[in-house]
Amino acid sequence: MTCDEVRELLPEHLLGTLEGPEDLEVRRHLRGCAACRDEWMKLEEGVSALSRAVHDEEPPSELRDRVLGTLGEEWEETGRVPTTSVPSRGAGRERWRWRAFAAAAALILVVGSIAFGFAQGHRASLATTDAQSYRNLLVALGGKDFRIGELRPAEGSTMQGQVLIYDGDPSGDWSSWAIVFAKVPGYTGSATATLLSPDGESRALPPIEFQEGDGKTWLVTYVDLTRFDSLAVTSPTGQVLATAAIEHA
Amino acid sequence: MTIVRTDEPGSDLALMADFAARRERAAGVLYDRFASRIYGLGVVMLGNHQAAQDLVQDTFVKLWRSADRYDPQRGRLETWVLLTARSLAIDALRRRVLESRSLQLVGVQREEDPEPLPDEQAAVVDLSARARRAMGVLSPEQRSALELAYFGGRTTAEVAALEGVPQGTVKTRIRSALLRLRAEMAKESGR
Repeated sequence: MTCDEVRELLPEHLLGTLEGPEDLEVRRHLRGCAACRDEWMKLEEGVSALSRAVHDEEPPSELRDRVLGTLGEEWEETGRVPTTSVPSRGAGRERWRWRAFAAAAALILVVGSIAFGFAQGHRASLATTDAQSYRNLLVALGGKDFRIGELRPAEGSTMQGQVLIYDGDPSGDWSSWAIVFAKVPGYTGSATATLLSPDGESRALPPIEFQEGDGKTWLVTYVDLTRFDSLAVTSPTGQVLATAAIEHA
Repeated sequence: MTIVRTDEPGSDLALMADFAARRERAAGVLYDRFASRIYGLGVVMLGNHQAAQDLVQDTFVKLWRSADRYDPQRGRLETWVLLTARSLAIDALRRRVLESRSLQLVGVQREEDPEPLPDEQAAVVDLSARARRAMGVLSPEQRSALELAYFGGRTTAEVAALEGVPQGTVKTRIRSALLRLRAEMAKESGR
């Protein structure tokens, strides 16, 4: 790549929209060309100027404590490895996390609720409708896949429901989501849904709290969920209430 | 508020290493250095203060989760932070649009964001006016290309298609716009 070619690509390289081999070529050229590095640094200063001129706004003073507190929670709850963020039971924590996840979860809640409600009365045409709507969503959202599974009650249980997984971008730019809808007529209490992989790995979702027989839970995470291909729902005493095989939508 | 400047690549690397090692001081330095621009980006892109505050929080969590991937050879920390925030803001906008469309499909009215308080509205108007003034040094074509690429996360090919001009023209417009803003800021700080 010549200097002229690299310089033409620098704005895209800088703004993160240059892809694959060209981006690598630009990086390689920059390592060995002081003149192009100089041009690149000028453009970076342009981005800095843009941000200072166009969107530099002092946030409310209390936000600093909130953000540092959030990081403190993150550090306390996790190891160094990037890991799951889930709604917790703490009231303050619940509030901010709900806000953070609400936008992502709302879409899935709506679509999943429709699919689950639909399944109650129109099971015969469920597969076709679901598959098409999830494919459409996947096209719009990007990401790798939508997968669904139907909860099958264990012996002595009446639990029905559905699990839906959106496998986002594994590079971590977009999160992956898992959501479980369950129905046990007349039941009020809790249960735990756990994702399972063929090699024995497991990841529990936050508890399902049932109100008059209906319950749901979800997980938003930057962890790759593709390795999980089944789900088990258990009672607080560890009894298996239902299981689901998770397959491509 | 104390603002600690650490503009050299070496100190940026040390700062991110401290941040990755969960040192609260490093988190505070990063916050003081970048929060206002992330927040402003949220106000401009997402249009309300609550969403802008969430963007700041989400950006810092994501920065921590990817802190060990920061490489000063690949660019300034400032650019990396700003593009991380921009990516999250675009993600939020995309979800908002999809949520709205899904709710329309099932005939449910989308719950509106809470009405901003008068002082919040004034701040948004003020920031927008400032943004217009700053971008006023650019030609309309430069401004449009830069806005689509920077705030919209569009590739130059997408901007070219939207604007109906060759891709090379878009690249030139973005480059010229950034250099012009850099020059203007240098002029401002020299006054």
